[in-house]
Amino acid sequence: MEPVLLRARGIEGSRTLASYRSRGGYDGLRRALELGPEEVTKEVINSELRGRGGAGFPTGRKWTFVPKDHPGPKYLVCNADESEPGTFKDREIIEYDPHLVLEGVAIAAYAIGAHTAYIYIRGEFVRWARILEEAIAEARREGLLGPDVLGSGYALDVWVHRGAGAYICGEETALLESLEGKRGFPRLKPPFPAVVGAFGKPTVVNNVETLACLPSILTRGAAWFASIGRPRNTGPKLFCVSGHVQRPGVYELPLGVTFRDIIYEHCGGIRGGRTLKAFFPGGSSAPVLTAAEVDVKADFDACAEAGTMLGSGGVIVLDDTVDMVEAAANLAHFYAHESCGQCTPCREGSDWTVDILERILAGHGRPEDPETILRICRFASQGMTICPLGDAFALPISSLLKKFRSEFDERIAAATPAPQKKYPVLPWAGPRPGFGR
Amino acid sequence: MPKLTIDGRDVEVAPGTNLIEAARLVGVEIPYFCYHPYLSIVGQCRICMVEIEGQPRLAIACATPASDGMVVRSATSERVKEAREAVMEFLLANHPLDCPVCDQAGECLLQDHSMSEQRARFSTHMTETRRTFPGLERRLLGPHIVQNQNRCIHCSRCIRFTQEISETSQLTYKARGNSAYIDTFDGRPFDDPFSGCAADVCPVGALTLREFRFRKRAWKLRSTPSICPGCSIGCNVWIDHHERIVYRFTPRENPQINATWLCDYGRFLAESLNTHGPHRPESREPGRAPSPDETIRAVALELKAARTLRVVASANLSNEELYLARELFTGHLRGEIVVPVWPGEPRRMKNGSRKWLTSTDAHPNAAGARRLGLEVVDEEGLARFLYGAADLTVILDPFAHPFLATPEALQLLRVGPTLLFTNRDHAIGEFARWVLATASLACNEGTFVAGSGVVQRFQAAFTPPPGALPLWRLLALLARDTGLARVPLATPRDIFEHMARSENSFSGLAWDELGGLDTTSYREHQHVG
Repeated sequence: MEPVLLRARGIEGSRTLASYRSRGGYDGLRRALELGPEEVTKEVINSELRGRGGAGFPTGRKWTFVPKDHPGPKYLVCNADESEPGTFKDREIIEYDPHLVLEGVAIAAYAIGAHTAYIYIRGEFVRWARILEEAIAEARREGLLGPDVLGSGYALDVWVHRGAGAYICGEETALLESLEGKRGFPRLKPPFPAVVGAFGKPTVVNNVETLACLPSILTRGAAWFASIGRPRNTGPKLFCVSGHVQRPGVYELPLGVTFRDIIYEHCGGIRGGRTLKAFFPGGSSAPVLTAAEVDVKADFDACAEAGTMLGSGGVIVLDDTVDMVEAAANLAHFYAHESCGQCTPCREGSDWTVDILERILAGHGRPEDPETILRICRFASQGMTICPLGDAFALPISSLLKKFRSEFDERIAAATPAPQKKYPVLPWAGPRPGFGR
Repeated sequence: MPKLTIDGRDVEVAPGTNLIEAARLVGVEIPYFCYHPYLSIVGQCRICMVEIEGQPRLAIACATPASDGMVVRSATSERVKEAREAVMEFLLANHPLDCPVCDQAGECLLQDHSMSEQRARFSTHMTETRRTFPGLERRLLGPHIVQNQNRCIHCSRCIRFTQEISETSQLTYKARGNSAYIDTFDGRPFDDPFSGCAADVCPVGALTLREFRFRKRAWKLRSTPSICPGCSIGCNVWIDHHERIVYRFTPRENPQINATWLCDYGRFLAESLNTHGPHRPESREPGRAPSPDETIRAVALELKAARTLRVVASANLSNEELYLARELFTGHLRGEIVVPVWPGEPRRMKNGSRKWLTSTDAHPNAAGARRLGLEVVDEEGLARFLYGAADLTVILDPFAHPFLATPEALQLLRVGPTLLFTNRDHAIGEFARWVLATASLACNEGTFVAGSGVVQRFQAAFTPPPGALPLWRLLALLARDTGLARVPLATPRDIFEHMARSENSFSGLAWDELGGLDTTSYREHQHVG
């Protein structure tokens, strides 16, 4: 497949506006301004583009939820808070083609009628925030952004907002809170951001990759986009393959390719001639798939059928050297550390799971531990929390536990009882006569 | 008006009512920790999960508005029970098991819920070491609030209170996840003028009142509905008392006036209700100390003999006392009466619709005095009144105005004989010819007119200590002995009903239907305010 999102990778000076223009840059925006907002939305709906951030919600449909006749401002927020473990696709796009993102932002903002767009970029992406700033300045100078976009009279300002490094701020409502300068706590929904979003105004939050798809949809047409991949799962997708493969990295492949193709064909198989044990199909928040499930198609619907999710497309490959108990402990530690602390099940449950798993790792597991963890996971997921972080923590850990139960049981079978905690003895008390005997 | 079914009971509620409030109307108790009827909804604690027919997932009742045709199952659903059990297990995983030494025990939402709804066979699976916050177990957060972060269940009620009600935003979360703790925004003392409410809204013992901590177990306290005497706003309070000692005020729900809030100034006036004046009537007359009856008779004789009489009443007195004083001293006897009103410090209170109410003066009943047509004077007027000559000066409440304690006023009062009614020691008592002991507000019964014009009743928490009597009772005895027969004098109720018949400004009011006495409010049992 010819690259769409990564076509600038490897081109010298691809970040400059001149280079982007030589590749047909900003034609999509020009076409969008000719079509008008309704037609643009219709085109995106026809392309069956689904959000690339993780949930896979149809992008065009999301735009239509914004009230049309809303007085006052609306906002577009580009979610570049790429914090899902195993995901590094947005950075790649921004690194080589920042104007692709800006054009996508401009098209989406035009479609929903926003005159202000924010790019919320994670705090650690200092270099990429700077790249975006430079690109925005360049685009403004050339009249591609600003008070009069391409002489059409449409005004658009784009601002880069750097986050402070919290995983939870990738969740759209927490992102909006953080954008407003508050603590990154996810909001209770409804109302959804499309109705009450940033600063209380209708807001659409789209992922970088989603927005980067828009220019080519407009220049080459919805039908072309829909021809890539499978029905309802259309378009190119970036897969970030990490872990024990020969050639880890970002791969642009059509949706619907199998994980076998991704791992064995594109990434050259498992490192060091070892065998595949398991892999996370869409970042660490997606339930794990075993080597037997490697023929699952990498798209939204097929993953959902397999009981997992495509998520952000971060494929984490684990070979047979990986200890699944340690993997679970590692995951649990991340989610306990990143839990915002609002909802009881996630806050208490994630920390509790860490304690149990660390005890198992220390060689003091107990036979009832796996059931306790499964119970915690059951009641921390499926709508027990405000935001999906409860699911993100509970589902992969419970999947590891269910699919690799024997590893946990072996550890526990070999465990010794935890040493009795030594309580300080009061030096002046001694044995107390006649009390508690 | 949506009609819905909750646990098999049909209920019709106003649009926008959430399921917790809707269930309350039909007597179904949905537990909650983070929900508060006067704060915004965050849906954090997850204990209020209910099952709604047609929805695959459990919903939180606090954030689900009632809609037409909804079929809700709370206590009757096994799934809900299971989920709540799990949430309780999560909450109790790190909550210390220190109820016996926790001051909140007895009025703790977490304790109540774990005692009432948990199945007896249920036990926790938690075997790990509890999370603790070393150094935050017994921390003075501000002048009135003691924090024990180990007990915190992260409901954020206190944070939302300072953000939405007192508008100081002094409290906030710090850190993240399971290590999050409550702290003041920039580490400064929590000196919010409403800081006591943070302890009120705290569902557990994480925030407690420094002044009340460890003074009395909550289940020993009896609560009597009353009105805060601190200013003209007239916040509704409970007097919490035990064995004739007042321990604290807690706010009593009234959406029109104080919702479920109370300012720190008013809250800590509770202590002042424990002084009931000099415990026996005193006389400066030579000879033996007279008995109470003799004192009343002697005072009555003196009142009758006085050709000119001047009376300093007070805006701290109830309508019944003011009415009786007016009838007795100006109608029956030959006297003049004034009510001094002191502006005091400005106080404010937020009502249930989040509007600020401001005080006009420092008395609970200045509006009542005006309604009764009494002459209301400021400091200058009071001074002018005391300059005039009279055979006998009657001070119904020496704390009516700070001017009465100034050397200038004392000099003026020393000139003639004075009859003093007081419930605390006061400089006037040192030279007054007669000192009659009155009981504090805790032993009194009657009505106040709040600044907004609503007539509110307060009840007597306990009988006065020996030797002291409520002022209305003393005035009634004097009225009897001076021969005032027009007014029925047996109880404040009789006086009020007589007043309602004869005074235009009180006509149409019935004692039993007066505002501020809705003591059956369900919310009080959930210790919301």
